[in-house]
Amino acid sequence: MAFDKMELRDIEVWDGNFAAAQALRQCQIDVVAAYPITPSTPIVEGYAKFLADNYVEGEFVMVESEHAAMSGCIGAAAAGGRVATATSSQGFALMVETLYQASGMRLPIVLNVVNRALAAPLNVNGDHSDMYLGRDSGWIQFDSYCPQDAYDLNFIAFRVAEDHDVRLPCMVHQDGFMTSHTAQGVHTMDDDTAYSFVGDFKPMNDMLDFEHPVTHGVQTEEDWHFEHKARQHNDLMTKVMPKIQAAFDDFKTLTGREYNIVERYDMDDADVCVVCMGTSVETAREVALEMRAKGIKAGVVGIRVVRPFPFFEIQEALKDVKAIAALDRSAPGGAPGMLFNEIAGCLFNTDTKALLSGYIYGLGGRDLTKKHLVDLFTELQANVDAGKVLTPLQQFIGVRGPKLQFL
Amino acid sequence: MLEIRWHSRAGQGAVTGAKGLADVISTTGKHVQAFAFYGSAKRGAAMTAYNRVDEEIIMNHEKYMEPDYVFVIDPALVYTSDVTINGKEDTKYIITTHMSTDELIASQPKLKGKEVYTVDCIKIAQETIGRPIPNTPMLGAFMKISGMYDIEFFKESMVRILGKLPQKIIDANMIAIQRAYDEVK
Amino acid sequence: MANTGWDEFEIGAMLRTFEGSIDDIAGTLQEDRKYTENSSFSASVADWRIEKPIFAKDYCIDCQFCWIYCPDISIISRDKKMIGIDMDHCKGCGICVEVCPTNPKSLLMFPEQADEETEIAQWPAKETKEK
Repeated sequence: MAFDKMELRDIEVWDGNFAAAQALRQCQIDVVAAYPITPSTPIVEGYAKFLADNYVEGEFVMVESEHAAMSGCIGAAAAGGRVATATSSQGFALMVETLYQASGMRLPIVLNVVNRALAAPLNVNGDHSDMYLGRDSGWIQFDSYCPQDAYDLNFIAFRVAEDHDVRLPCMVHQDGFMTSHTAQGVHTMDDDTAYSFVGDFKPMNDMLDFEHPVTHGVQTEEDWHFEHKARQHNDLMTKVMPKIQAAFDDFKTLTGREYNIVERYDMDDADVCVVCMGTSVETAREVALEMRAKGIKAGVVGIRVVRPFPFFEIQEALKDVKAIAALDRSAPGGAPGMLFNEIAGCLFNTDTKALLSGYIYGLGGRDLTKKHLVDLFTELQANVDAGKVLTPLQQFIGVRGPKLQFL
Repeated sequence: MLEIRWHSRAGQGAVTGAKGLADVISTTGKHVQAFAFYGSAKRGAAMTAYNRVDEEIIMNHEKYMEPDYVFVIDPALVYTSDVTINGKEDTKYIITTHMSTDELIASQPKLKGKEVYTVDCIKIAQETIGRPIPNTPMLGAFMKISGMYDIEFFKESMVRILGKLPQKIIDANMIAIQRAYDEVK
Repeated sequence: MANTGWDEFEIGAMLRTFEGSIDDIAGTLQEDRKYTENSSFSASVADWRIEKPIFAKDYCIDCQFCWIYCPDISIISRDKKMIGIDMDHCKGCGICVEVCPTNPKSLLMFPEQADEETEIAQWPAKETKEK
């Protein structure tokens, strides 16, 4: 091949951004069209540097906005290339119009979203507002809890997205700064092993196939639009999860690292648990272990696949627990948090008597401390002891001023 | 769990220093974490960086930390920010200053009764590297105070980490690390 | 296609132009291409027309202006010779008549029900411009 391979140590100390950039290099992305925004910029900068240093054979397209970045990715993907980019926050918001185009056109683009708060007020730090903004866009969404996940999930994302039975774009989320700029040990794959997991890109309906001309991005009105959206939803609901599970299984065989659609930690005999995403999952795991030493049977459920939403996996994970806290790191804008609503939807019509309460935390990168989580688990245990939720159903954690709670 | 907080100005290399330290420690089989608070900080703004080191995999992502070591790599930060915040009884402070340890404590009463070490990383960096980048000398001082690794092993590791820099700069950094190791009191 | 279900078409907002493969599109005449029913070539818009162009070959100089300007690719030209109008796709806009430079014009608009032979037989004479 025309490019150079890179020698990696078995464990490299990488932050989440560099881990994602290395994954893009090892997947040999054909086209990255990108526009910079904190904190995701080092991902596409990293790809550009690898390209300039001849570690990858591809094309870097500098564009004038995130809308143009995703538009470029859509064009390149429709033409028949392996395509990726990265963004955050306002850039993600500007991309939204094209996100729906990408998924409706069934183009297997991978978008690294380094989660960051949405202005106003302007804030570069991590929360899940942008992730939540994308949750109806028809993309598959994977969530990382640490730099290792950000590396691994990129390979899994390409494998799933490019499967001809799936052909849907994937987002790989990581927490801004808390993962993207936090260096930790990352177990690497060598270049050949990594590439073998994703394999050569297999085009489908590509515009560069001149013997089979296609028109991409056609118009339908009331006559056919509904059928197209129905097909896309059907495939998200029925085809994607088995493919994700198969990719997780193969990845474990290859690397020994296990991922699950819903991650369950200390849940086998748990009385109380928190359900959350991102770096909070790991912090909560540590606190749950400490709570067990204090006699509270605590567990943690981490959402690994945000979309399609793991309805049955959540039901299964939460069926025996007595009190559940849904932690949402996004301002819910006049509603219960997304996870609270989704979990309530999963558990309604089941036999569970679990007590569900919602917590809004960590907006704009506000620290979620171990002390917050100790208090939270203690509150859940009090709910269990009383046999009812003793607090309002929505509480804010770590915000200044009088206790903020609703519902 | 060993926890370190760096006090620095954006541009002085605290993040690079924290990541470099994490890299060295990682090669000895320990688990590491290195991160920083940035905000939209411009060069010169006060900022903090952090290291965690443990035998077990590190799952804690809270930014709150009660550090075992506090590194202050800019001399003015002892006065303009609270370097003792969230400190423990036995927290050790390694502070860049042109003063002696006694003079420093006299000038900043908050340090009274604390375990304080001083070294002039700025001067060392200027005399060796030629620029006031005090991150690598601070690590030399840390090796002396903590006894974490043999200084020769540490310098060899740093040669690898600084690998892409010109040889002249790498050599200057090694001298800076050794000088801070020898001069910290 | 009226009863095609959501599970019956190819995924993506895409349509194929031809049945099977085609290896020399530029060298294949339209009537010899296997257009799919999704191609606009397969759909007739003849009923959109209330006036139609009639072509009087005797006056045509094969300048190709009508071929260039027709917005619906409905002027049929072979080997740079104008041979007629694709009446399945002509919407009767009259642009071909406007751009025709001959005197008298080689293309004129007539009511949809006009008889082609009759109109050609009584085609207007050359106009003489007053000096």
